[in-house]
Amino acid sequence: MTSVALSGALNTKRRAASNGDAVLGLLLVAPIVIAMAALVFFPLVETVWDSLHRVNPMQPGTPFIGVANYVNMLSDADLGRAWINTFIYVVIAVIVETVVGILCASLINQVRVGRQWLLAAVVLPWALPGVVNAVIWMWIYQPGAGLLNGILMLFGLPFDNHVWFNDRVGAIIAVSVVHIWRMMPLTIVIVLAAMQGIPDHLYEAARIDGASRRQMFFSITLPLVRSAIAVAMTNATVSAFNLFDEAWVLTSTSADTRPVLIQIYLETFQNLHFSYGMALSLVVTVVSLLVSLIFVLRVYNTTRYD
Amino acid sequence: MRGLLLSSVALATLALVVPALADDAKPLAGKSITVLLPSPQAANIAADFEKDTGIHVDLQTLSWDDIRPKLVTALVAGTAPADVTEFDWSWTGQFSAADWYRPLNDVIDADTVSDIGVAKIFTVNGNLLGVPYTNDFRVMLVNAKHFKDAGIDKMPTTLDQLVADAKQIKAKGITQYPIGLPLSTTEGASTSWYLLTKAEGGDLFDKDFNPLFLKPDSAGYKAMALELQMLKDGLVDPASTGLKDSQINDTMFAKGLTSIMISGEPGRLGQFADPAQATVAGQVQAILVPTASGTTRSYGLPEALGIPKVSQNQDAAIAFVKWFTSKQFQEANYANGVLPTRTSALAELSASGKLLSGDALVAQAKTVEPLFAQGTPPWYPQFSSAVNTAINAVAKGQVTVDQAMQNIADATKKAMTE
Repeated sequence: MTSVALSGALNTKRRAASNGDAVLGLLLVAPIVIAMAALVFFPLVETVWDSLHRVNPMQPGTPFIGVANYVNMLSDADLGRAWINTFIYVVIAVIVETVVGILCASLINQVRVGRQWLLAAVVLPWALPGVVNAVIWMWIYQPGAGLLNGILMLFGLPFDNHVWFNDRVGAIIAVSVVHIWRMMPLTIVIVLAAMQGIPDHLYEAARIDGASRRQMFFSITLPLVRSAIAVAMTNATVSAFNLFDEAWVLTSTSADTRPVLIQIYLETFQNLHFSYGMALSLVVTVVSLLVSLIFVLRVYNTTRYD
Repeated sequence: MRGLLLSSVALATLALVVPALADDAKPLAGKSITVLLPSPQAANIAADFEKDTGIHVDLQTLSWDDIRPKLVTALVAGTAPADVTEFDWSWTGQFSAADWYRPLNDVIDADTVSDIGVAKIFTVNGNLLGVPYTNDFRVMLVNAKHFKDAGIDKMPTTLDQLVADAKQIKAKGITQYPIGLPLSTTEGASTSWYLLTKAEGGDLFDKDFNPLFLKPDSAGYKAMALELQMLKDGLVDPASTGLKDSQINDTMFAKGLTSIMISGEPGRLGQFADPAQATVAGQVQAILVPTASGTTRSYGLPEALGIPKVSQNQDAAIAFVKWFTSKQFQEANYANGVLPTRTSALAELSASGKLLSGDALVAQAKTVEPLFAQGTPPWYPQFSSAVNTAINAVAKGQVTVDQAMQNIADATKKAMTE
């Protein structure tokens, strides 16, 4: 009888403690849940709902139009061109940021003295606002007194008064360079952090086995930083889909370089097609997440332990 | 004793009446309004207005390009971006269709409307939506010293003469690219093409908004071809494809790097006469816009003050609009580079010799037409965007003039049907 009573008392105590933990847990997550609901999920649902209506202040009412905004995207030639530009930016930015970012991280990982200063210098472009970076590069690309033309002319190349934005290929590369300049430091930092977590004894064992530096890089370093690379590639993808500042400052609304985000801005704030702009924003978000998901799933499949 | 009594009564009466009279003179004293205008504005506007009316003004300034997004986001959300805001001529169609601004017919007297000729640009279906405060129209600004140095004594009156003069200036090595012409995807590129279309003797649309620029012998077509030819002849800087009109005008013309500002703004004359702001001070003058026929033409791009319907301080806002567009203030505000919209103020400034290139400005002002005789359409932003995109593509050699004209027509047709 005594043991039954004791057991009952213990169960009650455990339940009380468990309930207390649950309440505490709920209280702790409540702020972020409320904040996310108010600032992310509610606006998202509202945006989805509005994208199914005609929201145009120049026309009366906001009638339900179903998926008309989404269907209209298929015949929007300006949008099609902007999507092509955006995909080109994404491909260039993700490849260059990943490849060069890993190489830079590997080099910085070898530095033993003053690494923190080097890292601080590398991170600087990322720390600056996108518009500031773009304005700096606008001066660099200036046809007359620009630094780039000046340097090329020092090598005897015919770049006197060369206008970098007068052909589409050159303009897209020039905008991409500025974006990569700003975003690559983040790739470097993410990959470098992962590299510094690799145990030294793995490299020592490889050295004893006679592995070359190249073999160690491809057999030890790269496999162990794959998840970090996936994170970096996801970030590079999302930021390239969100490219706006660089293209806006360097080439304004030029059709040659106009990414889809500038197209959304023009539709929304210039043409006052608010619900079309909302539908476009949602599509960009979904496409960006889907492309990122490819990296994440790929890395998950190659790095899981089961 | 009786005299003392009477004096005391008189003083007591005065003490009671004078404050009451003062309140009548400033009936809105103590109220507060917000005003949103493009930068720069004179520093003493708020203080002077408060001194005159007792109304406190919180004057906010933004760059011109940043004002419209701020207005649109606030107004579409049903809030007032400010009690009094900038209202550009190019927004008239959209803002009228959106019904965001209160008509001002009942508070602005007929004499004022009659004195401000460009007020009709802001009148839609009989509703005056804004009171113009800056008389922006197009003249041509030239560096007279460059012309003189090139041996040119007579200013051009025809487009052929203009091109010939530019070639002569270039040949003499005075400037590498004598003509300042924006070719970027900005409003400045569009407005220059509109002016050259007028100069070629035509208009953009007929009365039913059918495009008039598709045929090779049309004015718009010839204007685009002229822009391309001037670029090919080396009269226009190839870098203009990426330069805003402000960069071409503020930087290049002000530094003497160009000799002719095709789409000249009269308000800039003050800036170009100031040695602190321009290295060409004393060299710049306005001339009548040269045309194909020799008879000058121009069009207006005035800016006005409007009051959002959702403004909570309508009375004080109206007082500010009246004060800011009064003849007295307009004459004083010319010192800040704002050309008066009142014909009477313009004439007085010219008569007093204070108006730089006064004769040319007054003569050009008489020729100012609205760009759209039917009123600015709601699809103007799409049209303007299509125009500058087409100009940019032509200048980069990506499309022909023929394709560019068709692209503009197609984009306009699409915008009209939306």
